[in-house]
Amino acid sequence: MKGDTYWAWSSDPAAVDRGECGGAVTSLLKFALESGQADAVLTVKARDGNRYDGIPVLITDPEEVAATAGALHCVSANIARCLKEFLDGASDLKIAVTCKPCDAKAIIELAKRTQINLDNLLLIGLNCTGTMRPVTAQRMMEEEFGVDPLDVVSEDIEDGKLKIRLGDGTEKERDLAELEAKELGRRENCRRCDLNIPTMADIACGKWGAEDRKATFVEVCSERGSEFIDRAVEGEQIKVEQPSAEAQESRRAKDRAATELARQWQEKDFAQFHGMDIEERFAYWFGPSGQFSQCIKCFGCRDACPICYCKDCYLEADRGRVPGGEIPPDVMFPMIRTAHVMDSCVNCGQCQDACPMEIPLARLIFMLNRELAQIFKYEPGMDVNARPPLRTVTDKELSLSGVELVL
Amino acid sequence: MNLQYVPTICPYCGCGCGMYLVLKDGRIVGAEPWKEHPVNEGTNCPKGKNAYKFLYSEDRLQKPLIRENGTFREASWEEALSLVAEKLTGVPPESFGALASGKTTNEEGYLLQKFARVIMGTNNVEYCARFCHSATVAGLLPTVGSGVMETSQVDIEQADCIVIAGVNIKETFPMIARRVLRARRKGATVIVIDPRRTTTASYLADIHLQLQAGTDVALINGMMSAILAEGLENKEFIEKRTAGFDELRAALSAASPEQAAEITGVAAEKIREAAIAYAKAEKGCILYDEGITQHTTGSDNVTALADLALLTGHIGKPGTGVNPMRGQINGEGTGDMGCLNVFYPGFKRVGPESAEFFQNAWGVEHLPTEPGFTYMDIINKCRVIYLVGTNPVMAAPDSTNVKRALDNLDFFVVQDIFLTETAEHADVVLPSACWVEREGIHAWVDRRVQKVNKVIDPPGEAMPDWWIICRLAEKMGYKEKFNYASAAEILEEIRSCVPQYKGITYERLEKKAGGIHWPCPSEDHPGTPTMFVQAFGTPDKLGHFQAVEYKPPAELPDADYPDILTTGRSLFHYHTGTMTRRIDTLNSEVPEAYVEINPEDALRLGIKSGRRITLETRRGRIEVTAKVTERVSQGSIFVPFHFSESCANILTNPALDPKCKMPEFKVCAVKEEV
Repeated sequence: MKGDTYWAWSSDPAAVDRGECGGAVTSLLKFALESGQADAVLTVKARDGNRYDGIPVLITDPEEVAATAGALHCVSANIARCLKEFLDGASDLKIAVTCKPCDAKAIIELAKRTQINLDNLLLIGLNCTGTMRPVTAQRMMEEEFGVDPLDVVSEDIEDGKLKIRLGDGTEKERDLAELEAKELGRRENCRRCDLNIPTMADIACGKWGAEDRKATFVEVCSERGSEFIDRAVEGEQIKVEQPSAEAQESRRAKDRAATELARQWQEKDFAQFHGMDIEERFAYWFGPSGQFSQCIKCFGCRDACPICYCKDCYLEADRGRVPGGEIPPDVMFPMIRTAHVMDSCVNCGQCQDACPMEIPLARLIFMLNRELAQIFKYEPGMDVNARPPLRTVTDKELSLSGVELVL
Repeated sequence: MNLQYVPTICPYCGCGCGMYLVLKDGRIVGAEPWKEHPVNEGTNCPKGKNAYKFLYSEDRLQKPLIRENGTFREASWEEALSLVAEKLTGVPPESFGALASGKTTNEEGYLLQKFARVIMGTNNVEYCARFCHSATVAGLLPTVGSGVMETSQVDIEQADCIVIAGVNIKETFPMIARRVLRARRKGATVIVIDPRRTTTASYLADIHLQLQAGTDVALINGMMSAILAEGLENKEFIEKRTAGFDELRAALSAASPEQAAEITGVAAEKIREAAIAYAKAEKGCILYDEGITQHTTGSDNVTALADLALLTGHIGKPGTGVNPMRGQINGEGTGDMGCLNVFYPGFKRVGPESAEFFQNAWGVEHLPTEPGFTYMDIINKCRVIYLVGTNPVMAAPDSTNVKRALDNLDFFVVQDIFLTETAEHADVVLPSACWVEREGIHAWVDRRVQKVNKVIDPPGEAMPDWWIICRLAEKMGYKEKFNYASAAEILEEIRSCVPQYKGITYERLEKKAGGIHWPCPSEDHPGTPTMFVQAFGTPDKLGHFQAVEYKPPAELPDADYPDILTTGRSLFHYHTGTMTRRIDTLNSEVPEAYVEINPEDALRLGIKSGRRITLETRRGRIEVTAKVTERVSQGSIFVPFHFSESCANILTNPALDPKCKMPEFKVCAVKEEV
């Protein structure tokens, strides 16, 4: 049932051994394929074993799942985009998708916009307290840990520390806050992300609450998730146990701590703007020496964004809205994009990762989203049935002076 | 269904950005960020993001073509290659010319020069670098001993003063603009030297020295005199690592920012301010490109910049240097491979010694020992030309005469991916595979060697350039000297005779995102991001000051042609437009040619943006749409050279820098007619 929790581990002792947390997710993915509940698994793999180079992979052979096991902290592949753009939004393929909270939120927002068929998806949520940009991570490994980045076999973010393990078993750790004060450590959007457990997926899997067991703590988040776990247990793919009350509390406590830290980062990230008046803010972003004056119209942000899905994008030169061929583009370019997506920004940070000129896009758009979230009481990415503010304009609102709906 | 994310490197400019190509059941359906790549970290410019689309363009050349009765007909490889072999056999060395490509792989460039030297017996082999950095070679070889970019582009962000001379990096090297922006956000001072108020000048510069076109030597001499006047020259560096300082000082004794101001039109205080900022910096970095080189005084312009760097000691450390920016995917590499009239592979100067070295390396005799023709002489003086992947009808100066010369050839072979404006003049056209349709290595702007892997098959019967050259060599009786089963085998040969590449292997390149900077003398050598750390490439290891004097451009405005024409590029298109003008999104942004014209001049002519006007120089006329903008100063106009229907090079002046045969693309006299 929704809300049920388990300690889970693979029924295959070899998988338990190999897996960081008992191989449960690996076994569940294999089971999804073998039982026909999924035609394919969409997950992220370290290309050629390189932990800094994560690519989405579509797996149809259960034997290939094991190679994707293990949390990769130095990659942030755009899973939702892959689903939407390259897999037809799962329109005719049943897919089991591993997703961090941001991936899951993005998928749900796309489902609301009929770009992804949620009915065909089994969302295997993965707890996440953040990932790192690969080039930054490599530099950090060299400069702060004094190791060859390629020697690292696993990373972990736990209790305010970034811990790494090398191939020879050596473990090292550094204080996360110290690293992040130097702009090393997690991606900017990850630091301020206050959603660590993806309860909007079908199940949410993670280490919190597993204590010292070689097990994964699984929370059932939907009826589909519930059936899936029941079948996996019946089919003896995974073994489960009831987690202790202490484990439950420990998990809740860690979640609270991580969320609190994230809220502090949100305040920090947005503080500089809350101190500006409207003219200063406008100049900072859209003025002649503003952030957007550096834009080179690569459309990387628009391509990466899960909220952007229009086949005939309003920003393109042939729509006549933004004059073509101008660098930087007319102020309408960033303004329109911001206006179109800000009610639903899920803080995935893919836009900011994609910007050649390092414009802090996610900082702007998510800041605006937080303000809108309060006004409209709308949390993006949580409930596929909750409709975004831009789509729930009422007649009363339209009749307010100064309010227009332009299609 | 099969979904794959395959990494590759962008086919356009010298930055060398990584990206993933997404393949669905073997067909490329998109490009996605490759976040681990050190150059661009998962970001791309508009050209890169859309690059893969041209691969599937319907008008890709798919079969060989032979000209018959004034038109092309399709032919088999057998027929076409036999015809070419027949026509090339017996052509005297001085009558044959090979024009190589800035876009083919190193392996392919290497084979083309080998073909010209071994089979045709000539050093008449050149490529587009004549038109972009021949001035660099002439300017940097005597001063610092090597004409290459001196810092890794990644390290530019460490500089605290960056001088951007004659290059609109926001539009032509976006990833280097990224590094400059990083430096600037950390407090670096950015100085832009450009007669145009480009996007780079407007949005990256702290100081814009908006000089009169072609007055760079005067400006830089003025800057150096200001540095000397303040005693800010780097005395220790000059003492330990240079020669010729006293002569430079003497030559500059009459120079001053005030004198420079008179010639350049830039205020003396601004010149002084810029000079002092650069001299006082911890790490000063000079980036320069066509705005400096494409002049009849291009080599002097480069020399002056080298003097400036040596004067201040901003050279030999990461993030410093006097840095030429070769713009093509293989602008550096094709030169490394010896596609130059005066260099064998690895920059061994043409002469008896180098000929002997390669005779041993290649197992041949009688390699040519005299320098060959430069590019324009190949076009005008050879009888038979074999041209691969380049488009002089659009890219060489005085296009009308280029076409005339090509039509006058006894035989003209063009090997390319589309029927370009140049291919239209060929007798035989051979269809090439390109980019991810074959494997090979390239050397990007900062000597960064990376590998491009084969991801899809070429269209129709198109074949890799290296295969075509081998088949041709075979037909001409040279099978054993061109006996390669793969590009990998060609690289092995390159490694054995080009010491700078000795340590570079496919295996090493596959393992390292971002590649390896040459020189890389051995397989355990990490590569060389920064040049001249201990010593310069000159015979005595010292940097040599060389004083140069300002000389005006060859053709300045007069009563008949009262304005200055400058040519250049736009972010959205690439060079002669062969690839980018076949891509919907890019065409949507910039669908047609334009001329930038100052509002005062527009007023005088009585025109607004959008009006078609005619531009005329002593070489010819074109019609083009006006774009009224403050980016050009009064009395100057700017036309990008991407558009065949308004070909900028119909107008340009073929006058050459005598020291390096570089045409003066950047300055000539023009008049506008309404």
